[in-house]
Amino acid sequence: MKKTHIVALIVIAIAFGVILTSLSNNSTYASFKEASDHPGNVYHVVGKLDKSKPFEYDAHVNANLFTFYLIDRDGSERKVSLGKPEPDDFEKSDQIVVIGKAQDGNCFSAADVLMKCPSKYTVDSIPSQKKQSSM
Amino acid sequence: MNEVTYIGEGIGWQTAGNAFIFLSFVASLFAAYCYFNSANNDELENGPWKKLGRIGFWLHSLGVIGIMTTLFCMIFRHMYQYHYVWEYSNDAMPRRYTLACFWGGQEGSFLLWTFWQVVLGNVLIRTAKKWEAPVMTVISVAQVFLASMLLGFYIFGWKNPIGSNPFTLLKDTPGFAGSPIFSTPNYASMLAKTATGLNPLLQNYWMTIHPPTLFLGFASTVVPFAYAIAGLWKKKYGEWQLDALPWTFFGIMILGTGILMGGAWAYESLSFGGFWAWDPVENASLIPWLTYVGAGHVMIVHKARKNSALSTFLFPIITFILVLYSTFLTRSGILGNTSVHAFTDLGLSGQLLIYLFFFIILSTILVIMNWKGIPRDKQEEDLWSREFWMFLGALVLLMSCIQIVATTSIPVTAKLFGFLSRHTPVFKESLAKLANQAPPVDRIGFYNKWQIPFAILVLLILSFSLYFKFKNTDMKQLIRQMTLPFICSVAFTVCSVLMLNETNGFYIALLAMSWFAVCENFYYWVKNKKTNFLKGGASFAHVGFALVMMGALISTSKKDVISVNTSKKSVKSIDESFSDATNIRMDQGDTLRMGDYYVTYTGKHRVGKNILYNIEYLTKNIETKKYTSQFTLTPLIQLNPQMGNVAEPSTRHFWSKDIYTHITYADPNSLKDENKGSEYVLPRTSALTVGDKIYSSRDTIILSSLDSHIDLKKYGLKEGDIVVGAVMKVIDSTGKIYTAEPVYVISGNEVRSIDDTLSKLGLEFSFSKIDPKTHKIDIAVSEAKKVAKDYIVMEAIIFPYINVLWIGCLIMILGTTLAIRQRILKSREAKAGNTSLNEIKA
Repeated sequence: MKKTHIVALIVIAIAFGVILTSLSNNSTYASFKEASDHPGNVYHVVGKLDKSKPFEYDAHVNANLFTFYLIDRDGSERKVSLGKPEPDDFEKSDQIVVIGKAQDGNCFSAADVLMKCPSKYTVDSIPSQKKQSSM
Repeated sequence: MNEVTYIGEGIGWQTAGNAFIFLSFVASLFAAYCYFNSANNDELENGPWKKLGRIGFWLHSLGVIGIMTTLFCMIFRHMYQYHYVWEYSNDAMPRRYTLACFWGGQEGSFLLWTFWQVVLGNVLIRTAKKWEAPVMTVISVAQVFLASMLLGFYIFGWKNPIGSNPFTLLKDTPGFAGSPIFSTPNYASMLAKTATGLNPLLQNYWMTIHPPTLFLGFASTVVPFAYAIAGLWKKKYGEWQLDALPWTFFGIMILGTGILMGGAWAYESLSFGGFWAWDPVENASLIPWLTYVGAGHVMIVHKARKNSALSTFLFPIITFILVLYSTFLTRSGILGNTSVHAFTDLGLSGQLLIYLFFFIILSTILVIMNWKGIPRDKQEEDLWSREFWMFLGALVLLMSCIQIVATTSIPVTAKLFGFLSRHTPVFKESLAKLANQAPPVDRIGFYNKWQIPFAILVLLILSFSLYFKFKNTDMKQLIRQMTLPFICSVAFTVCSVLMLNETNGFYIALLAMSWFAVCENFYYWVKNKKTNFLKGGASFAHVGFALVMMGALISTSKKDVISVNTSKKSVKSIDESFSDATNIRMDQGDTLRMGDYYVTYTGKHRVGKNILYNIEYLTKNIETKKYTSQFTLTPLIQLNPQMGNVAEPSTRHFWSKDIYTHITYADPNSLKDENKGSEYVLPRTSALTVGDKIYSSRDTIILSSLDSHIDLKKYGLKEGDIVVGAVMKVIDSTGKIYTAEPVYVISGNEVRSIDDTLSKLGLEFSFSKIDPKTHKIDIAVSEAKKVAKDYIVMEAIIFPYINVLWIGCLIMILGTTLAIRQRILKSREAKAGNTSLNEIKA
């Protein structure tokens, strides 16, 4: 067997291993219920902000703690604590991904959040103009 | 409803723009067809098809330049009736960002890409000689695809048009059509106020230089690809590499510079907290660069030894395909949930996939058809030869690339598995599970863990590969040469490990390999190239790469967040993965210890849209206990009501470290417009004589004196105005004394008060009346509803030795540039050699 063949085989083996591990080693998207069933595992939960409940950030109490309520796609709601300051324009986001794990007492602690903001370039941005143009 | 005749829409611009788009599309098709025929039929050097092909490509070039000029003028003239102009620019933006607006959107960046391929194509028409026809066929086909991205035609009743046209009027844009404003004939002149303008994150000088560099890098990958395809097509397997080599290194240099500029931008003015965050969009630019470097190196092997022919085809093909794949990733919207700066979907995903798969299928078919024909190495490469190790290095780069591609593609594979689980009868469950795959939680840690071993291997290989000779090496001599730099590198490693107190085995290995690579490559240049600057290309590039790795390692592994949460309530009680050591609240006037510094938030001021926060760094002398100011940083928050506020960090650079300061949260009240400011409760008016005392809810207020010597100019008053000031002394709860002086003015018949405010105490004083009978004056005191000190939440990080990284970047760019020069010279020499050889034969 040639050296190049050996090298090629090793390369293929590593490549295969890399792809398999990067596919199996990661977190998955889940619901709050699933996360509660497996405390300790880290999940991505997609949901919407419950705007009827308070989202709190008080830098005077703790600059690294922000809490809010999130309703996941199955409709169940949890109080989420994020170990960071309140992100800018948080209340405007229409979809939120929280990355973290379930805690006791219907809580979820998120190490990170990703926000998806609604498109800013829709017909909504024109009405302000309507008022101005009628003046 | 009546037809409205619109005024000032400037439809002529749209017509011109669309004519240029049409021209560029049709001409690129024509050029592709003619060049294809030329490559297949022309016997002569300058046959008729080739001439037609050139005319086609020139017309295409004209079209592309026409589109760009039209769009640029429209942005410059603020023609907001056009969606692209409306979305990416506005009146408030400085003119210097006109270019940034131009490529701020998807269409503009496609144009930029097309433009660079036009430039490269025109250079190739002049220089490619016998390769012109097949190479230009491939480039013209690529241009057909790119030009189609701008068409904006609706055909066959499809929901989405082909391409996204940058000359679409706002009133014809889906989502805007039907808005009542468009019933006004002169609506075009009313749109200026609503124009959104470029995302504030992009209003930065980097936005002017980073995209053109990056896109030139992306565009350049088409050249080696076209040569490889031409070689397969014309069944000339061993000649094109010499011509493609300088192009490849040119591309490596430009794309590398573009990627590093992106890193520098992120570090300097975005808030990632570092220069590389393994964001999917960043990865998308790095992926093709890795295989591009591989391509350049296997071509060098081939040039020297005429072997590894197969890999000289595969690497450029993979590189180009990866550029297309990256484009798909960043522009199809598929990364939407995972990246902070992917483009939004414009409905081009289908077209991008066709573009991608066209070239994947074409290349695969051509490679398979030529599989037998591509010459294989007759004899095995010697283990102690340069080519063996260079080839191995290229493979390690490929491995590293595969890992990044696999992880970055998780949203894509999840979608694929989701599709499969819905449409196959078997394995439904496990497929559905795979469809829920999410990207790694600790992204940076995950990638670093995987990529560090690859980096160690690459550095190891590039340390000694230059000392190997092609074919076979005298090992004794090699060891003799490599010993001195090896000893040096061991010494440097021991010193730096001790100094940095590094304990992680992988990090130590990477550090050691970086030093090894730096020393060996530097010594090689001194010893074997006799310190000839112009011949140092390879050595410099390797040294630079090693320094980049070293700088990246030290500055990230030893980065020190000095803004530690000192409040008693630790977030660790909620979750142990939460860190206290990130953000800290600072009230105005507070001094907190951070690392070796004492840090004070002294106040803020506003410049235009930006609020600048003054953060003063002090040191304390232990003996005298005195503070000395060292420097002041001014991180800022840019107010943008339309797109959300944007924070920009500020960094102090020292030779051995950077101190990075970033506002992560600012008191929302302080971000409102100053004049709306804090709200006051209704004023309480008291009649006072000098010496009288009144109390606010917290402070004691004394009317200490009346003052008739008022500087009229200071208040903008005229001579002859009657002016009296009331000097108010305010003592706060700690005994600190403040003074305020409201002023009573009689000018002509008008009586008014010039109020004075003590914003720190939240008190406002108004001098409203003088009673001549009682000699009492009326002072109205308003208290702010809530006296809260202005505060910020900030993050301060020390990045040690990050300058090593930037110096490494510059050396790498310099080295690659020298290597390109060397390659061009050698390629000319080789050709001259061939001709003279042919002359002798003749």
